[in-house]
Amino acid sequence: MKWYKFGKPSGRLIGQVDEFIVHSDSILEVEDSTAVKRVNYHKVPGEFVFAYGPSTGGLMESVGFDLFTPGELINHVDVDPNFKKRTLQVKGKSVQDALLVVERINGFHSVSNSIAFASAVEDALGIEISDEIRHTRILMMELERIRSHLEVVKRVCEPAGFGVPSNQIGYLREEVSRIISRATGHRFFFSSNGVGTVHFNANGIVPALDKIVNEFDHIFRGLLQSKIFLNRLQNNGRAHHPNLLGPAARASGLSVDARMDSGTISYKDIDFNPVLQEEADSFARFMVRSREIFQSAEIIRSLENVGDFKSADISVSGSGEGAARVESPQGDLFYYVNLEDGVVEDLKMVSPSYMNILAFEDSIVGNIFTDFHFNWESFGIWVSEIGVEIR
Amino acid sequence: MSSIWFLEGIRKGRKTEKFPKASPKEPPLWPSRLEGKGEVDCPTNAIDNNAWDSGKCVFCRRCEQSYKPSLDQDIFTVKDTNQLFRKSFYLYKLDSGSCGACNVELGTIFDPQYDANRLNIFTTNTPRHADAIVVMGVMTDGMKEALQKAYEAMPDPKLIIALGTCAISGGVIGKSALPRDQYNVEISGCPPSPYTILKAISRARGD
Ligand code: SF4
Ligand code: SF4
Repeated sequence: MKWYKFGKPSGRLIGQVDEFIVHSDSILEVEDSTAVKRVNYHKVPGEFVFAYGPSTGGLMESVGFDLFTPGELINHVDVDPNFKKRTLQVKGKSVQDALLVVERINGFHSVSNSIAFASAVEDALGIEISDEIRHTRILMMELERIRSHLEVVKRVCEPAGFGVPSNQIGYLREEVSRIISRATGHRFFFSSNGVGTVHFNANGIVPALDKIVNEFDHIFRGLLQSKIFLNRLQNNGRAHHPNLLGPAARASGLSVDARMDSGTISYKDIDFNPVLQEEADSFARFMVRSREIFQSAEIIRSLENVGDFKSADISVSGSGEGAARVESPQGDLFYYVNLEDGVVEDLKMVSPSYMNILAFEDSIVGNIFTDFHFNWESFGIWVSEIGVEIR
Repeated sequence: MSSIWFLEGIRKGRKTEKFPKASPKEPPLWPSRLEGKGEVDCPTNAIDNNAWDSGKCVFCRRCEQSYKPSLDQDIFTVKDTNQLFRKSFYLYKLDSGSCGACNVELGTIFDPQYDANRLNIFTTNTPRHADAIVVMGVMTDGMKEALQKAYEAMPDPKLIIALGTCAISGGVIGKSALPRDQYNVEISGCPPSPYTILKAISRARGD
């Protein structure tokens, strides 16, 4: 393992899966598989529990919320991501078959997942990738980030009652899906990434993306001029939490980003500084994501060396242990694999939504019901990547 | 304030495509109807006896040597229709265990390129107001009851629509959300493209 070692904690806490507590540089094996978890809350007199979900048209995915409240104010929330918990069979499969499952853990962030998994396999087998492939993967991940951030910004506009910008951003999000479809043959990058290879055609991406980003700039400026919009987001859902990840962390002033401190897909030759905000509220999370849309477009423009790769065919053999970490649109995403003759003996994944859901629970305390939706949407959490068990 | 956005909406002009009357403007290659012949090593047995079952296909491209994507987006089966829903068709979406991509694509049919509202297709937040339930994802233990309750809460007549390979057959993830014979409409793809979703849903009303 080139980037990871087993042993005492080193670096930032990324999360826990089974008996692994994962930091940015280390994996600590523990006995208690629930060492990193939420506090247990007990109802106080005068409070009742309002159950919301798991299925309601107002939510993107199935998820349950227990809101503890004496009336209007929310004193505590328990989020249950396990209603739709899927059990995925990966162990015992070939790397190629495992990849089909991995890219469907969180389909909206499939390229981050498949690149992290492929990189862990490459680490296990000592496969070096060329700068050309590294740059192409960066391009793919930044495209995925732009689309994901557009989706979250759109979803923050919706409950705020801003239908026109929400629609316009939806239009742009779809235009990005079409860019991805032209470049990879699939709107969600499925089967476009493999061990040591990619399937990608970068022709025409920059001008198409420029148009989208210019349109977004216009909408973004319009939103910033709207007092009503700003009032709804500002001071709503403050989250100062030492273990936040991704845009939610950067929105609270934490300079946290796998693109800076992970060796997996190195950004060393790319001009990159994390986008930071200090306010730590829904507004700050909206700002970080919006500004990162421009930043990701800038990164894509700066990439040279991005080619036209036709094949995602892989044949993998060999044994070894590997680990990798990338910055998904939601934050640090970690994969560990153990291969035996090209077969997956063990696979572990830690998704950023795991830590961010704990921070969301903290942030909602003291908010009122009407603020609940923006706050949830502003975190951009994907339930699919937490409610999942790998076997 | 809101007038600024109103003007903005007008400034942008009409962006909706003529689909399904006209052909899709930007159909994806994967998923689209596969054409070819021969036996292949398919991870979901979607190709059996030289016949391709789009409801089992995850569009992984492994058979690409023998089966080519045709761009044809009509990969759905409408077994039952109901013309009562022509004036308004309210969908209740239910995520029984999805990866999230099907959810995004269902939402996309309401974006300006597709604008499902113009075809009198809407979503509702409660099954009590729904004409059809759209099931996405594989069956999971935790969602069985929610699916059952939502279906029971819907008034008659009602349709069950399976969106995506997981819901139809389980794909590479698990077991289908419901037995296949319970679906009135099956929309293939992993995930299905917004073109396929829009046309299938519109056909469910006898269009
Ligand atoms: S694309 Fe994949 S799942 Fe579909 S028929 Fe071909 S091999 Fe089977
Ligand atoms: S059918 Fe495919 S896209 Fe839809 S939920 Fe299943 S894995 Fe995800």
